Amino acid sequence: MRPALLLMLAAALPGPAFAANQVALDNKVFVERVSTDADGKQRILLEEPKLVVPGDRLVFVLNYRNVGAQAADKFVVTNPLPAAVRFAGAGDTEPLVSVDGGKQWGRLDELSIATADGAHRAAQPADVTHIRWAFQKPIPAGATGKLMFRGIVK
Amino acid sequence: MTSKLNNVGFIGLAAISSLAATPALAAGTTAGTTITNTATVDYQVGGVAQGQQSASNNFTVDRKINLLVEEVGTVTTNVVPGQTNAVTTFQLTNSSNEVLDFALVASQIVGGTAAHGGTDSFNATNVRIYRDNTSSGSIGSWDAGDTLVSGYIDELVVDTAIRLFVVADIPAGLANNAVAGVTLRATAREGGTSGSQGAAITETTGANTAGKDTVFADVAGVTGDAARDGSHSDDDDYTVQTATLTVTKTSRVISDPFNNTTNPKLIPGAVVEYCIAVANSGSADATSVVINDPVPGQLTFNAGTILLNGTVTAGTCNADGTAGGSYSAPNVSGTIATIAAGATRTLVFRATVN
Repeated sequence: MRPALLLMLAAALPGPAFAANQVALDNKVFVERVSTDADGKQRILLEEPKLVVPGDRLVFVLNYRNVGAQAADKFVVTNPLPAAVRFAGAGDTEPLVSVDGGKQWGRLDELSIATADGAHRAAQPADVTHIRWAFQKPIPAGATGKLMFRGIVK
Repeated sequence: MTSKLNNVGFIGLAAISSLAATPALAAGTTAGTTITNTATVDYQVGGVAQGQQSASNNFTVDRKINLLVEEVGTVTTNVVPGQTNAVTTFQLTNSSNEVLDFALVASQIVGGTAAHGGTDSFNATNVRIYRDNTSSGSIGSWDAGDTLVSGYIDELVVDTAIRLFVVADIPAGLANNAVAGVTLRATAREGGTSGSQGAAITETTGANTAGKDTVFADVAGVTGDAARDGSHSDDDDYTVQTATLTVTKTSRVISDPFNNTTNPKLIPGAVVEYCIAVANSGSADATSVVINDPVPGQLTFNAGTILLNGTVTAGTCNADGTAGGSYSAPNVSGTIATIAAGATRTLVFRATVN
């Protein structure tokens, strides 16, 4: 249904469209605190990153919106990991990751690291240097979405 | 916003539990570091690549004050009465994410249970703190080349452990198994100025600030040292191990001029064997034990009969040992080199009834 609609849109507007700020991005970070209530139930609170010490868990949230009038295609979000943050998963958003500074990309379990003695070992979350989400489908005009990943302050 | 974010936050409770299982980080990122995260988007519209979009956020890593004082080893330091420079060993680790000074105080517990289960019963004297000199001398154990600490450790770098010695003198005249407990407490102080002790550190109270806040993350130490107070402590103790000697003197008739050695009687001319047994019921060896015994005037010492370092079996003198000792009228004397803890050794000699 949706691909058909997009095809139609593309047909209606064949000319090149180059508009600044076609996509709006909002990048936020939160500190994740787990508290246990009287019933022993765990609650997760996301706080502003005002008090952050090594070992704290972070949640990076990227909100995007196609503010243009047309669909955005080949939509690729790339996030180099800050040097002081260790990657700790991306929930169900399943990004591609790189463990070599952005040269090669893949699922974490497909990547390996060359060790000093010439052998290879499986890549670990701590090896991740970049995260990338490459969308298979265009983002329709006006559509919004949210991406997230977790990290730990080294 | 909150509800949306909570949805995000709940994406992976499983992920959280796996995070909790990861090993604890050491000191980590230096306090005051700004962490900036930037995401970029590349996309096309109508098949034409558009200008790259990016968005950033940043935050500052706060200061986590954490330190550890640990006794090295898990046994008491055995001392003898009157010993000088008795050493207990500790380790101080700066697990904070900033270089800090550490004020040090070595104190003695008074009464109560000491580190290794004994009851504190005396105080050591002349208590000092030394820092191990790791470039010369005996590294890891105290020697005269170690540095006497004058109240604080200067500029201890992150993730670094140093060895400290609490050195004290032991008073004379203490009983076996007497115990003196000592406590070493370190308190984090501001670093940054080499050669002088930094100011006291206070935890940031009230609202968080966007700048570098201070959080105490230390665990509780010995009694009276709470968690999250910017200081940590541990205790150790000295236990007196001394020799406790008791002397027993026995005698038996060896022979008389008429019965010879068969049921001899104590008549003039009879030979009497004396056994002086020294028992050590303490916990330490007694060395250079000098035995001195005047021979009664009614007896004449038999030259060459002194036996030293003999044994006792079930309370009976074995009258064994090696020849030695000396006689200087009226005294028989001899020196036993070592009487081990729990052992009994003897001096044996013979004399004739006048």
